[in-house]
Amino acid sequence: MSKNYQAIVIGAGPAGSSAALTMARAGLDVALVERGSFPGEKNMFGGLLHRMPSLEKIFPDFWERAPLERHIIKKGVTFMTGDSSFSTTIEAGSFDKPPYNGYTVFRPRFDRWLAEEAVAAGATLITSSTVDQIVLKNGKIAGVTILGRSGQLNAPVLVAADGVLSFTALKAGLRKPTFDPAQMAVGVKALIDMPREMIDERFGLVRDQGFANEFVGCTEGVRGGGCFYTNYDSLSLGLVFHLASLRTSGKTPYDLLNAFMEQPQVAKMISGGRLLEYSAHLIPEGGYDMIPELVGDGIIVAGDAAAFCNATGLNLEGINLASHSGVVAGEAVIAAHRAGDFSKQGLTAYKKLLDESFVIKDLKQARNAPHMLHNNRIYHEYPEMMCNFMENIYKIEGIPKQNVTKLFLKSAREKVGLGNLLADGFSAWRSL
Amino acid sequence: MNIDEIFDNTSFTIDREAHIVLNYEICTGCDNRGCVNSCPARCYTWSQEEQKMTFVHDGCLECGTCYVVCHKNAFTRWRYPRGGFGVAYRMT
Ligand SMILES: Cc1cc2nc3c(=O)[nH]c(=O)nc-3n(C[C@H](O)[C@H](O)[C@H](O)COP(=O)(O)OP(=O)(O)OC[C@H]3O[C@@H](n4cnc5c(N)ncnc54)[C@H](O)[C@@H]3O)c2cc1C
Ligand code: SF4
Ligand code: SF4
Repeated sequence: MSKNYQAIVIGAGPAGSSAALTMARAGLDVALVERGSFPGEKNMFGGLLHRMPSLEKIFPDFWERAPLERHIIKKGVTFMTGDSSFSTTIEAGSFDKPPYNGYTVFRPRFDRWLAEEAVAAGATLITSSTVDQIVLKNGKIAGVTILGRSGQLNAPVLVAADGVLSFTALKAGLRKPTFDPAQMAVGVKALIDMPREMIDERFGLVRDQGFANEFVGCTEGVRGGGCFYTNYDSLSLGLVFHLASLRTSGKTPYDLLNAFMEQPQVAKMISGGRLLEYSAHLIPEGGYDMIPELVGDGIIVAGDAAAFCNATGLNLEGINLASHSGVVAGEAVIAAHRAGDFSKQGLTAYKKLLDESFVIKDLKQARNAPHMLHNNRIYHEYPEMMCNFMENIYKIEGIPKQNVTKLFLKSAREKVGLGNLLADGFSAWRSL
Repeated sequence: MNIDEIFDNTSFTIDREAHIVLNYEICTGCDNRGCVNSCPARCYTWSQEEQKMTFVHDGCLECGTCYVVCHKNAFTRWRYPRGGFGVAYRMT
């Protein structure tokens, strides 16, 4: 098999399909190559789909078209220590009115749908095909070779949308040969089957309403956190670990997930459910400083491949950044075709458009935060301090009560140390 | 929950050809072996008595953790399975 295209997109995740869709709509003959037997087969996430500015522009009816689960009306944070936890939730009226702020989705369904939209616009989807090598002709990019359906695809320009490890960017010399474990995290997730009515009743939901909760202090001291989401008739329960911390902890992701599921308060949330699927995937958490070279001669890097993930807030944002960068990559390739210039110079529109968008602006803004998140106290001492403090506030033991400020300072002194509290408060404030 | 059940719920199309191949000699001299505990699919097993590393690619979730965690680049091959093979998520 050897076929000619005007562009090849590697990877049919949100970045790749958005790129292929954009190019196909402009009339380019584009190949969208995916190693899974269908797009989304290899992909997992937390997860919440946030607002998708670029796809909402392409499809004004995006939120009716896309295969979505519940929209999130209630968000919570839980600080956990051993068998105690302290939670806060917010349920806002505005969260229950369109445009909704976030939806739960399943990747095998969502990614497949988005790739099909690209095909409907004229893109050629080639599944069960792992891109192997970049083919050069006279020193210039001329195509790729495939493992699976063996063969070669030819095109003068590539979009590397092959996800977090991007071997395409590596082979093009755009990313470094090794990753820093301090800039990567791994997420593991259990999908739990539960009847819809049971979910509605248990979490106080009606219609298509959903609940999302984040956890801190649930990883036995390993830097990381937990998340919980309601789908129509299943629950997603996951843990995320920073690799630099996990690799030296001696602890395993599945034992920690198991312990998390057995923690008394979590056990109550999922009781009566049945495990459906277990999955794992890396998250590029290094932010702005992790971004590789974005453009080379005949190649653009988009999505997770370019480390476009914003993991510094309470929300993990990736799909929205991936999709936007994919659209912009598509636009840059269209411009390059018009000018007949696929050199690095001819593709620089990509960088310019990204710099002006929320993708780069948000990542720049969050630049200080990864350091804050590498502070071990956030994962261990603070959840302990919160739980200890709240436990003491509510205790009525028939002995004279202590003043609330004193109680707080006592918990803080015992669990964190006052100097640390001040220092951490300062760096949290600075990273905002 | 029984931990083995976790792994039983994920589907695979197993390729005879391993997509990850280790140079076990490097593992024998390794001072960290973070891969053993970090792999979410229990693909790495270190035997203390035999001083021997065993790697099984069958249940690999293709998450990428070992690729990042191994600081000695012990891989004679680390790539994704050939198209159509490997882990197959249904919903997640
Ligand atoms: C645990 C976890 C929780 C997350 N939670 C959220 C969340 O709540 N909200 C959010 O917005 N984001 C979340 N993310 C991040 C989000 O999933 C990613 O940022 C997003 O999927 C990136 O899209 P992408 O298209 O760049 O890459 P991917 O989705 O990884 O897609 C890459 C595609 O390329 C294919 N591929 C790879 N190599 C090859 C090859 N050689 N040949 C052919 N095909 C190839 C893959 O099979 C895949 O389909 C989460 C991620 C994880 C791991
Ligand atoms: S970290 Fe690398 S060298 Fe060490 S045991 Fe694991 S795979 Fe082998
Ligand atoms: S890719 Fe992930 S699941 Fe596969 S062997 Fe490496 S760490 Fe284990």
